Amino acid sequence: MASRKKFIWGDLLAGLLLPLGLLVLWQVISCAGWVNASILPSPVKVLKVIEDSLADGFLLKNLLISFNRVIRGFLFGSGIGFVMGTWMGLSKTAEKALGPFFHAVRNVPLVGWVPLFIIWFGFGEFSQVVFISVGAFYPVVLNTLQGIRGVRREYVELGRVFGFSRLKVFTKIILPAAVPSVFTGVRLSLSTSWMLVVAAELFGVSTGGVGNMMMDAREFFKMDIVIMGILTIGAVGFIMNQLLAAIEGHFLSWKRRTA
Amino acid sequence: MTEAGKLYIRGLNKKFNVDAKEISVLEAINLTVERGEFVSIIGTSGCGKTTLLKLIVGLGGSYEGDIILNGKRVDGPGLDRGIVFQDHRLLPWLTVSENIGFGLDAKIKKAERQEIIRKHIQLIGLRGFEKAYPYQLSGGMAQRAAIARSLVNRPAILMLDEPLGALDALTRMYMQRELEKIWKEERIAMIMVTHDVEEAIYLADKVVVMSSRPGKINKVIPIPLARPRDRDSYEFIRIKDEILKEFHLEAEKYFSYSI
Ligand SMILES: Nc1ncnc2c1ncn2[C@@H]1O[C@H](COP(=O)(O)OP(=O)(O)O)[C@@H](O)[C@H]1O
Ligand SMILES: [Mg+2]
Repeated sequence: MASRKKFIWGDLLAGLLLPLGLLVLWQVISCAGWVNASILPSPVKVLKVIEDSLADGFLLKNLLISFNRVIRGFLFGSGIGFVMGTWMGLSKTAEKALGPFFHAVRNVPLVGWVPLFIIWFGFGEFSQVVFISVGAFYPVVLNTLQGIRGVRREYVELGRVFGFSRLKVFTKIILPAAVPSVFTGVRLSLSTSWMLVVAAELFGVSTGGVGNMMMDAREFFKMDIVIMGILTIGAVGFIMNQLLAAIEGHFLSWKRRTA
Repeated sequence: MTEAGKLYIRGLNKKFNVDAKEISVLEAINLTVERGEFVSIIGTSGCGKTTLLKLIVGLGGSYEGDIILNGKRVDGPGLDRGIVFQDHRLLPWLTVSENIGFGLDAKIKKAERQEIIRKHIQLIGLRGFEKAYPYQLSGGMAQRAAIARSLVNRPAILMLDEPLGALDALTRMYMQRELEKIWKEERIAMIMVTHDVEEAIYLADKVVVMSSRPGKINKVIPIPLARPRDRDSYEFIRIKDEILKEFHLEAEKYFSYSI
């Protein structure tokens, strides 16, 4: 146990080496005055802005606005993805009818949809949420389909031995067996949604949010806020992933093959 | 009534359609299993042993002839019959307790369920492992949990498909004694498929020897030995030789056909 802990500390240190190095380099560049401070503000200045923005709630307010868009887009997209994936997983006919369409449409890069969404839904909130939903949809539909298809026939047969109804076979056997795969999809979907919200705020007309915060700052040449935005996006994405990994580790502990 | 708990198989034929061709897997099977009787089935692999067990348990689909339990023709699964598959088939996301209670009749109330599960954990000697997940169990423990799961509904007859096949020789001998103990305590009929002639004789009231292509019953050999049985006794060894001789005849017949 002790050796395992030491190992993790070592990993953490190794992982911090590059960011710390960059930070030092950044500070050196700023102090030496090689680059105009309005293009690359010093780390200290960025830190000050972060501090102020946290203190007056500016950053939190924008974060919450972005979260709101992410959650709506994610729930909508992954919800439909789960239903579609389940349906295609349970019915070969449904997969034959819907599968080719989904795979063909998947080849269109997400930004390729933007002009269409703008014309159909305008520049506003709704358009942005739909954009996030499309990105959130694919990981869930594909992983759910795969998860349900991958359920061992032997488990389903076990349900028949006990005279389970079709519904009970689904809720007690197929669904739990597919959960790890569905969860992988949900994780991917949520991190995709988070990455897409910034893009959505860039193309859409809306106020508030981390993306808009950065766009406004760029107009006024406030590079410290732009950099704060980048750091925030990275940090939130990272924390979100760690959180979901922890949840997965807790609820899917039975998946561990070795004790 | 004398019919209670008694299994009759009369003129049973089972055919499978493979590549638009009909192949006969079981032919003219006649077998009677008395209430509480232990029957071992041995035969080369592919002779239809699993198919026969699945038909009795009601998972085999349609068949010709009759399988009659408690005076009723079998045409689907029912809680009066249980089966232990060769792979223990415990659900990996459920604990030992949850697995054992998995198929428990839905009509049974919660408090009683807990009591039944507790009793069966006791019966198979897995106390202290109630909350363990299948990946934490040894092969023998997993197979014992699977046996408990098949017993909770108090079936009149239990099918065991090579239940000890995957275990090492020592665990296997131990499990044979355990199985005998459970059979005595539960007073239910058991039909066990095995590849091991000694195991078949050790446990059975009668041994059914099957031959293949198509699967037929070659001989039914009663084992009138007192329990617990001594594997080194003269009678035990004589019966073993008799059964092995059946196999040699079968092998000769098979090879003279194929040459
Ligand atoms: N669902 C099925 N469809 C077609 N053939 C099958 C099916 N199940 C079993 N068989 C065939 O029936 C024969 C007997 O199989 P099985 O009962 O599993 O044998 P055993 O358990 O004695 O090894 C094998 O040749 C197998 O290929
Ligand atoms: Mg078999």
